[in-house]
Amino acid sequence: MKRPVLVRRESPIRGGQPLSFAVGLVVALLIGAVLLIGAGHEPLRVYQRMFEKSLSNADAWSLTLNRAVPLGLAGLAVAVAGSMGLWNIGAEGQILAGAMGAAWVARIGDTWPGPMLITVMLLVAFMAGGALALIPALARSQIGVNEIITTLMLNEIALRLIQWLIHGPWKDPDSYNFPLTPMLPDQARLPSLFGRAHLGVVIAGAVIVVFGIAASRTTWGYELRVARSSADTARYAGISLRRKILTVLLLSGAIAGLAGGVELSGTADRLTEGISNGFGYAGIIVAALALLRPSGVAVVALLFGAVQVGGQSIQIIGVPASVSTILQAFILFGAIAAGVFARYSVRFVATGAGSDERGVSG
Amino acid sequence: MSEASIVGLLAATVSFGALLYLAALGELIAEKAGVLNLGVEGMMAIGAVAAFMGALETGNPWLALLIGMLAGALAASVHGLFTVVLGAEQVVSGLSLTILGLGFAAYLGKNVTGRPPGAELEPVDWGALTEIRWVGPVLFGQAPFVYFAVAAGFGIWFLLSRTRVGLAIRAAGESASTADAAGHSVVALRLGSVAAGGALAGASGSYLTLTITPQWAEGITAGRGWIAVALVIFGAWRPGRAAIGSVLFGGLLALKTRLQTFGVDLSPILLSMMPYLLTITVLIVISIRARNRPSPAPAALGTAYRREER
Repeated sequence: MKRPVLVRRESPIRGGQPLSFAVGLVVALLIGAVLLIGAGHEPLRVYQRMFEKSLSNADAWSLTLNRAVPLGLAGLAVAVAGSMGLWNIGAEGQILAGAMGAAWVARIGDTWPGPMLITVMLLVAFMAGGALALIPALARSQIGVNEIITTLMLNEIALRLIQWLIHGPWKDPDSYNFPLTPMLPDQARLPSLFGRAHLGVVIAGAVIVVFGIAASRTTWGYELRVARSSADTARYAGISLRRKILTVLLLSGAIAGLAGGVELSGTADRLTEGISNGFGYAGIIVAALALLRPSGVAVVALLFGAVQVGGQSIQIIGVPASVSTILQAFILFGAIAAGVFARYSVRFVATGAGSDERGVSG
Repeated sequence: MSEASIVGLLAATVSFGALLYLAALGELIAEKAGVLNLGVEGMMAIGAVAAFMGALETGNPWLALLIGMLAGALAASVHGLFTVVLGAEQVVSGLSLTILGLGFAAYLGKNVTGRPPGAELEPVDWGALTEIRWVGPVLFGQAPFVYFAVAAGFGIWFLLSRTRVGLAIRAAGESASTADAAGHSVVALRLGSVAAGGALAGASGSYLTLTITPQWAEGITAGRGWIAVALVIFGAWRPGRAAIGSVLFGGLLALKTRLQTFGVDLSPILLSMMPYLLTITVLIVISIRARNRPSPAPAALGTAYRREER
């Protein structure tokens, strides 16, 4: 009898990641097609509509770009933490914290001129996201508490906090007892670029470029890479690991917080508990698909933005919204599988073979 | 504060505690084998919708439970395949499973949302025992899930601490290469533990749609999967301590809707933050104490195992 094992290739297939990503996309579309047929829809027509509504003209692109903003910033937040080998699972909560911070500024500064109000909103959002990451950052850097669980728990805490604000202190007295916060003042809205696209697109793009340059061209970025590859080398070189961990996690949280501020100011009418819409979790998939590279984050965020905008557009013709959620998860799973085959090849060996030939499946 | 309202609170505490405990036990056994599965929320949703649809199809609640557990195990096996066999990042794969599971459950359940259940698992009738004041309604007026959860807790404790298979599972989670050298298949142990954990998460989801609600609606899991993840840490990876944590967190869930009855002037929303705050506190305490004693977390948790080829 023969069974399959994975054997490492001498050199990985060239362009493995873009290729894996494309394979993931195709796999997801095929699985999506099966689901669509199961629900009584014609996959080609549905996919055509998704494409038209998300990528076919300037208006469609403006919607996709808007969606890519929180996805890209959340993805970058995860990638920033990942540059030190850390996992920030808390982008979802940090986005909510940023939105809460920005909404608070809009409440107290509703008479300020627009540019000043928006600037302060975004600054406070940036700081609020960092503040939510403070406990995980301190706990990880000072006493070595695993940041995965602490950041994850804070997502649920931030969600309860925003619910409490909306149902309690920040409820609009004129909302007839509905749990709604007041509308944002008009001057709190980000200026628009074209179509529905707002200035957040430029902000997100700039943040991604700045981090990309900082990570690859500065001493700071170099030290991050040293610290990630070997803690001992870093110590020998006089790099303070504790301070690096602290600043990286705080920066990661702050970038996610900025996403919350931009989302509130750019696309929302008011603060709601659904303001993040799972961007923080999707951001983890974006960062993973981008292999934690800033340029990759921008590309993947655009594609996920298009999938989400397309997914919304097909609800009108009766396709469940969950199809686009399922597509996003399958793009990742498909890409992971393809990525493995870019680095490993499958060989069939006899089951009786010695243990040293059994490869990874042993 | 009447006797009836206190009994009601305690009975709901046990009921919610069992709901959380089933999912937490599933996460515990996966983590003991070295696999962090952040897909609990998704597996619960899949189990919940599968059990509900199973009940509609078959009319048999026990068959529906079995379907819910199988669906949970199948969902978990996706995570197992990607992390254990293909060596993908456990954090990324688990969170994707949550997203996939919630999406898939919503897709499958679209046509059965709000429908009356096809079958329910009703509370067990213990005869005279149920009549006992205080104890009866709290301990003996419960659905089969509660007794199932208690049995599963003892079963997993026994499996992990008293059997050879349990020792091998723990070895796979502490040091995969040691388990491998001892002649165990790390892949089989981890896959099995993840799938068994998924079955328990599926059972927890089934409890929602076969007894507690009992209907299907999108978002029915309402973040309880994350509490299950928290409970494993809160319980320091021990089935017994996780049971205590489950009753405590179950009590918080039960108290949430009853604050006004007891005349407490606190927002139920703020109360529902407690499990997460407590878990962060426990994690910090564990880390501070870990300076003097070993951490209770499985040493190889979260790391893929690849035997290097020659």
